[in-house]
Amino acid sequence: MAEVELRNLRKDWDTATAVDDVSIKIENGEFLAILGPSGCGKSTTLFMLAGVYLPTSGDIMFDGARVNDVEARLRNVGIVFQSYALYPNMSVLQNILFPTRFQKTDDAQARAHEMAELVQITDLLGRRPSELSGGQQQRVALARALIKRPNLLLLDEPLSNLDATLRLSMRAEIRRITRELGVTTILVTHDQLEATTMADRVMCMNKGRIEQVGSAADLYLRPDTLFVAGFIGSPPINLIPPDRDVLSLPDRCHTLGLRPEALRVSEVGMPATVLSVEPMGREAMMTVDTPLGDLRFIEATAQPKYRPRDLLRLTFDNADTILFDAKGQRIPEAHATLKETAYA
Amino acid sequence: MTPSNTRQATNALLFLGPACLFLVCLLLIPIIVDLVVAFTDMSQTVRVGEFTTDQFGKLVKANPEALLGFELRGSFYRALSLSAVYVVCTLAIFNVTFALILALTTTALPDWLGGLYRAIWLMPRMAPSVVYGLLWLWVVDPTDRGLLNQILLAFGLDPINMKLDAPVTLIVFANGFIGASLGMLILTSSIRSIPQHLFYAARADGAGSLSITRHIVLPALRWPLSYITVFQSLSLLVSFEYIFLIMGPARSTMTMSMLAYTKTLAPGIGSGQYAYGAAITLILIGIGMVSALLLYRLTNMKRLLTRPRIEVQ
Repeated sequence: MAEVELRNLRKDWDTATAVDDVSIKIENGEFLAILGPSGCGKSTTLFMLAGVYLPTSGDIMFDGARVNDVEARLRNVGIVFQSYALYPNMSVLQNILFPTRFQKTDDAQARAHEMAELVQITDLLGRRPSELSGGQQQRVALARALIKRPNLLLLDEPLSNLDATLRLSMRAEIRRITRELGVTTILVTHDQLEATTMADRVMCMNKGRIEQVGSAADLYLRPDTLFVAGFIGSPPINLIPPDRDVLSLPDRCHTLGLRPEALRVSEVGMPATVLSVEPMGREAMMTVDTPLGDLRFIEATAQPKYRPRDLLRLTFDNADTILFDAKGQRIPEAHATLKETAYA
Repeated sequence: MTPSNTRQATNALLFLGPACLFLVCLLLIPIIVDLVVAFTDMSQTVRVGEFTTDQFGKLVKANPEALLGFELRGSFYRALSLSAVYVVCTLAIFNVTFALILALTTTALPDWLGGLYRAIWLMPRMAPSVVYGLLWLWVVDPTDRGLLNQILLAFGLDPINMKLDAPVTLIVFANGFIGASLGMLILTSSIRSIPQHLFYAARADGAGSLSITRHIVLPALRWPLSYITVFQSLSLLVSFEYIFLIMGPARSTMTMSMLAYTKTLAPGIGSGQYAYGAAITLILIGIGMVSALLLYRLTNMKRLLTRPRIEVQ
């Protein structure tokens, strides 16, 4: 187990910068998720931690020691890939045992069985990877990554290839295992749900830079930037250029953010015309035409009450509005208020 | 027969027809002709006088004390053992081992350098056989004009005459240098098709380059290696053009295929013994079939051919 720190980490490729000035400290035993769209530099960061890529500049510290020049095989890092990367010519047991070939271990067999038990694959040890389902391969990959008691566990989109139900159970499973072992874990994902449900902290990246680091609630309720606000949340937040005739807000506000579920139907409020209704199971998403513009609005019901062209009145709590300046930075402690004129 | 069945049959015939025709004309008919001619006395006049087993009598003679009731005559025995040495050595040293080393090293180099290196090894394949043969003749020229002797002399060593002193080594080298490139290409593409993540995973698991080669790369090359072994051993068994171009009809390198060629088609050196050549070729076909089946079993090719080897992940 280790405390991991990145200091001004940077990776340049021939034509582009993949990771730009990333600094973060990850506590011993912490579970950090790196979240971002594809091409944001999250996997490059992960591969630099693993020692597969060399950073262009900056430092990678494990427990205070610089490991930039330490070879991948000597870093004691466990890694699970999206493709699982199991060795096809070896049995499950041989796959799990593989890392112990290169480490002095007396009780390799016993440990392999312990790991197999931990990830619940004891009855599959004799099989080949090609004879396993995706979820089972995933567990084998996890056992292989954990057998050498790594300083750091890296998970590269580990759930992307699983179906929805399996993903749900593996999410909890991975969380349980990492907690049980207390291993410092970094998860790379483009799936916000994966990041927010599994991690202690989420680091949101875009275009090689850190946009925000914080808890799931921080990112959702207090997004630092326009990008984070737009990236987190489904259905996505309403981002609207504010109309100062109907809203009172600070002068430097350039964009107003309003979560679809922040809107609610009320006796008094701005008039809204329903444009479309999309039932989503537990709730329904509607698009409504309001004095603020077209907004996404969530009605918390499985049986939508409204139909297109219905008229209703909507309001929201001022505290639920999120304001951004021209640079896309959140204006702290500032909120918008609906003017009386909006009610007409 | 319903119209749709008829159409299916016609389609099958149209689709497979050319390939079948090709096989029948260029493979089946020649084998049958060879089989028939082998049991005649056909010679320069290309006429069949009588059906006889005389030709086989030139190759083996009855000996009640021998294990199978006959023994091989000297020239035939020489040709058989020369063929075996030639095929096994070329295959083991060059077409498999050296091809593997080339593939492993050139894939480890930076792309442009590896590509350049492979291109150099491919060049003999692009050159016409005669040019390649002539180059070898220049390399092993017994005078001080030969490349090899120039090098030996530069190091203060005595010049050698490979054609006279090491003829089998010479034909193994000449065939190996050109033959290794096929294995190199197949193995290179197999190494390239190993998912990159496997290498990353192995590195993170603590494996060094040698362990990665042993545990990740070599297992992935099992099937291509089997294929190369089977394919190349068969083609070596019947190849004679470089032997003929470099050594001519020398007794020291008279393999089975060379023997068959010189007895029938090679001009001016005792050719025209068609029935005799046919008998030798018949035996060669038999050896080819047996060794193909043996290798097929030995390398478990059946599994390669019946089950997809690509693992979808």
